[in-house]
Amino acid sequence: MKKVKVFTILVSLALILGFLGIASAGTLDEILKRGEIRIACQTQGAPFSFVDKNGARTGSSVELTEMIAKEMGVKVKYLNYDWDGLIPALLSKKADMLAADMTPTLKRAMKISFTDPYMYTGSVVFVKQDSPIKTLEDVKKAGTKLAVLLGSTGENDAKRVFPEAKLKTYKGGGPLLINAVLAGHTDAGVNDGSAATSQIASFPPNSVRILEGQLSKSPLAFAVRYDSPDLQSWLNLFFLHISLDGRLEQNLNYWVNSLDWKKDH
Amino acid sequence: MLEGFNFRIIWEYMPLYMQCFAATLWLSGLSLFGAVVVGIIACAMRLSQSRILRSIAGVYIETIRSTPLLAQLYFFYFGLPSMGIMLPEWLTGVIALTLNSGAYYAEIIRAGIQAIDFGQIEAGIASGLSYIQRMRFIILPQALGNTIRPMLGQAIILVKDSSLLSLISIMELTRAGQVLTSERFTPAEGFLTTAAFYLIIYYMLKAFSGWSEKRLIFREAH
Amino acid sequence: MWGFYFNELIRSLPFFLKGLYMTVAVAGLSLVFGTIIGFFGGIMRASRNKPARMIVGAWVDLIRGTPFLVQIFVIFFILPGIGIELEAFPAAVIALTNLTASFITEIVASGILAVPKGQREAATASGLSNYLQLRFIVLPQAIRSILPPLVGQYVLLVKDSSVVSAIGVVDITRVGWLTVQRIPEGLMVFGLVGLLYFAICYPLINLSGFLERRMTVASTKL
Repeated sequence: MKKVKVFTILVSLALILGFLGIASAGTLDEILKRGEIRIACQTQGAPFSFVDKNGARTGSSVELTEMIAKEMGVKVKYLNYDWDGLIPALLSKKADMLAADMTPTLKRAMKISFTDPYMYTGSVVFVKQDSPIKTLEDVKKAGTKLAVLLGSTGENDAKRVFPEAKLKTYKGGGPLLINAVLAGHTDAGVNDGSAATSQIASFPPNSVRILEGQLSKSPLAFAVRYDSPDLQSWLNLFFLHISLDGRLEQNLNYWVNSLDWKKDH
Repeated sequence: MLEGFNFRIIWEYMPLYMQCFAATLWLSGLSLFGAVVVGIIACAMRLSQSRILRSIAGVYIETIRSTPLLAQLYFFYFGLPSMGIMLPEWLTGVIALTLNSGAYYAEIIRAGIQAIDFGQIEAGIASGLSYIQRMRFIILPQALGNTIRPMLGQAIILVKDSSLLSLISIMELTRAGQVLTSERFTPAEGFLTTAAFYLIIYYMLKAFSGWSEKRLIFREAH
Repeated sequence: MWGFYFNELIRSLPFFLKGLYMTVAVAGLSLVFGTIIGFFGGIMRASRNKPARMIVGAWVDLIRGTPFLVQIFVIFFILPGIGIELEAFPAAVIALTNLTASFITEIVASGILAVPKGQREAATASGLSNYLQLRFIVLPQAIRSILPPLVGQYVLLVKDSSVVSAIGVVDITRVGWLTVQRIPEGLMVFGLVGLLYFAICYPLINLSGFLERRMTVASTKL
C-alpha cells in the first residue's frame, strides 16, 4: 500500500513538472506571415481598455493598438485576460505583445522587455465624499486602511508613502477599489490617477473625492518578449512617430487627460 | 514558459507561501467545521416533520447550490455593509464558505442517513437498544460510512474554493502565487508552487478520510 | 443608488445573454465528453487490472487535488511549449472535460464497487465474459447509485466553468467582470450573474432530486 501511494505521488509530480519548451525567432516576420498581430490586454476599466455601453472593446490602449496594426498592415486580434493571464500569454507566445496600463518596474523587466514609456502617470488617493481624511498627511496616520490593486503601481506607492497604513489588496479592476471604499471596507483607495478619475465618473456624482497631490510619477509602457527585439524597436519607432505627428497627444487628450470619451462611450 | 524554471525565486517567496498556506489551512478548517455543523442542522430541518422548517432548509440548500460562490461572496462583502453590518474580511470569507459548503453537507448527510435500511432501526428498538445506543451503534456508523467519501470530496472543494477569498483581499495560497507572479513575472513558478501546496492539503485530507474510514466504521464486507 | 445603474444593466442584457450562451456551450460540450471519459475511467478504476487502477487513481488525485485555474493555465499556456497549440475555447473545453471526467470517474467507480460482489461471482460462474458482466449485470445496477450524484456533478461543472474566463473565454462570469468596470455596482451585476447560473443549475438540481427519488423507489421495489 505504502509503495502504491509513493508511486501515485511521484506520477502526480512528474506530470506537473514534466513539460519543457522550445524557442523560435523573428516576431515581426511571423506577424506579417500570419497577417495578424496578437495582443494580450486586460479589460480592467476605463480609460485604457474597457467594454463600452455598446459592448465594443475600446479605450486608449485599444486605439493605440489598432493604430499599430494599421501601420503594420495587419489585422489585430485581442486576447483578453485577467492580470493573472497576461504574462503567461506573452511568455507562452499566445500573444506577440502586451498592451496593458503596466508600469515597467525593474523587477518585471528581468523577465519581459518593455518599450519606451509612452506616457507618465501617478498614483492618487481617493476617499468617500464625507470622509474625515482631507489631505495626504491624514492618510499617513497609523492603521489607515487602504485599498490597492494587486501588482499595481498604486500598491507599491502606498507601501512606500504610507508605511504605517494597513493595505488591503484587491483584484479585478479599479472600480472594485471604489466599491470597497464606498462600502466602508477601507478608509481610502490608491490607484493610478487617470484610471481613478475616469472610473469615479461612472459612480453617482459627489460620492468620491480625490485628494490633492500625486504619490509618484511613473511611466506606462507596452511589453514584448526578450526574443522579439525586432518588434520592440519597431514599437519604439512607432511611439516616436505618433508623438511627433500628434496622434499620441490626441489619443491621450481624448481618453486620459479629459472625460471627453464619456460622451461617445 | 518552463525553460529556466527558477527554484531560487520560489525559495525566496517561501515565507510568504508558508504564511498563506497557514491562512488557507485555518480559514478552510474553520469553514469546514462550520459547514458540517450547518449541514447537520439544515439536514435535520429538511428531514423534520415541520413543513416550515423543511421549506426553509430547502430554499437555503437549493439557492446555494444553484448560484456560484463568487456571487454569494459578493453578496456578503458588498451587500451586508449596505444593511449596516460590517464584518472583517476573514469572517465574511468564513461565513460565505461555511454557508456554501453547509448546503452541500446537508445533502451529503441526508443521502447517508436515507441510505440506512429502516428495518435495522426497528431491529434495534426491538432488541431494546436506547436511542443513544441506536445512534452510536447502528445509525451513525453506517451514515458516516456512507458519507466519508463524499464528505472528503466536499472538503477538497471547500479548500480549493477558499482561493476565491483572495478577491476580498484575504491573503491565502492562491494569492501567494499571484503575488509571486505579479512581482517577478514568473507564472510557471507561481502557479505550480501553489498547486503543489494544494496537493499537499489534498493528500492530508485523503489520508485522514482513509484513516477515519478504517477507524470509525464497521463496513459491510461487500 | 441602484436606480442609477439599473437602466444601464438592462441595456447590457444582450451582452449577458451572449455570455450565457458561451457558458452553456463550454459546459455542455464538457458534460458530454466528460461523462463518456468518466465512465471509461470509472470502469478502469474499479477493474481488476492493478496498473490501470493506479494510473487512473494518480490522474484523479492530481486533478482533484489541484486548483482548476492552475490546470487550465497548464493546458493553455504550458502545453504550447511542447507543441500543442490550442485556441481558448477548445482549451477551455478540454480542461473542463478533464476536470469533470476525473470527478465522474470517482462516482462511477464507487457505483460499480457498491454492486454486491456475489453478483459478479455468480456471473463469472455462469460463464459471462467481463464485457457481458459489465454490460448486463454490473452497470444496470450501478447506474442507480451513479445517476443522482452524476447530475449533481453537472451542477458543479456549470459553476466551475466560470474559471475558463481566466483564459479569455467570455462566459457569464467574464461578462460580469467586464460589466462591473462600467456599472460599478458589484452586488447588482453579480446578482444578475448569479441569477443566470441559477437558471441553468436549478433545473439540473431538481432533475437530480427527481432521479434520486426514482432510483430509491426502484431499489425498494427490487
